[in-house]
Amino acid sequence: MKPHVLVVEDSALVVGALRVLLEETGHRVSAAMSVAQAVASARADAPDVILLDITLDREDGLGVLSTLATTNELPRVAVAVTGHDEPAVRERCLNAGCRAVLVKPISASQLPALIKVWLSESDVAS
Amino acid sequence: MPRAYTDVSSLERRLESLREQNTRLARTIAELRNQDALKTQFLSNISHDLRTPLTAVVTHAEMLRDGILGALGEKQAESVAGIITGSRKLLDMVDEILTYARGDANQLTIAGSEFTVEGVIEQVCAWSEPLVAKKGHALTVDIEPNLPALHADRDKIAHILNNLLGNAIDFTPPGGRVWICARSGPRTARGASVEIEVGDTGIGIAPEHHELVFREFAQVDASPSRSHHGTGLGLAIARKFVELHDGSIWIDSKLGEGSRFHFTLPIRGPS
Repeated sequence: MKPHVLVVEDSALVVGALRVLLEETGHRVSAAMSVAQAVASARADAPDVILLDITLDREDGLGVLSTLATTNELPRVAVAVTGHDEPAVRERCLNAGCRAVLVKPISASQLPALIKVWLSESDVAS
Repeated sequence: MPRAYTDVSSLERRLESLREQNTRLARTIAELRNQDALKTQFLSNISHDLRTPLTAVVTHAEMLRDGILGALGEKQAESVAGIITGSRKLLDMVDEILTYARGDANQLTIAGSEFTVEGVIEQVCAWSEPLVAKKGHALTVDIEPNLPALHADRDKIAHILNNLLGNAIDFTPPGGRVWICARSGPRTARGASVEIEVGDTGIGIAPEHHELVFREFAQVDASPSRSHHGTGLGLAIARKFVELHDGSIWIDSKLGEGSRFHFTLPIRGPS
């Protein structure tokens, strides 16, 4: 079965690019543009991976993880995506349960390979 | 009217006028500060908003380059490589504006770690290798043996070196010489320091422009037809980062005689 990736991102342009990239490399993709949408989507159709832009329009993207955590619905892999690399932001994401922090622009050649590694590591862990 | 009375009343009038003037000046200063904060906020917002569509462009172009959407012909691959290079350059410039805006709003922090001066210089030289080769420059590195390891923000030190070396390469006509030297610096309030010099045999900077080049958005030749383009923020950011580490930066240059930028960093910087 294809791994299911939920892309949480408030730019339709970035969602469009990631959708093409992930679908072409053998993933099933859902997208959400706000915390509420992301939580609803994850509950309706649980993703294997959440790619989470942490700076949504006037919202903290990490809210998706804290909300899902209250009902034990966290995905196997959550990865934060940010525009700017800062130690404090990185630490906050890792503390919130993110497996990694990616800085935009995400490398098209690396993302599919990284997802494969994270999923296989989460298999081992579980 | 008695003379003393006239004098007192004229002094009072003058005092009142000075008070009014002071109030007006205080208001103007507050307005200017407000405008400056708005400018910084605007730069920060616009950089963030520019970054988002650019990242989409880069992702699409990289998918094409990597053959994820099918193999490309030679000319198509060349064109896509051009899109990626151009977009990455734009992203670098947007990042530079964002860094400047954050520095201006005092939002920069230091993430200290221990590293060797040699390691960070090697890394920056490797980044610049393609540009050095393109311009046919000779790049040399001279590091004093047994320099102690630095405790500082490695990324920011690499950023300073990259900005200085980038300028040295850019402002030196093809076939020139650029260099980086590192040696023990003077003792400072924070103890021992290192001094790093980035030099070139390029066009040089007239002494009257030495202070100007460290100012944000400043370019000695600001005309639209100037041959060197950029945000004009590279040296302002370099100075900001050096000062964050309690170091100092200065320039030694004359027009037509190349430039030597020096900066010092305490071995154990602020953490």
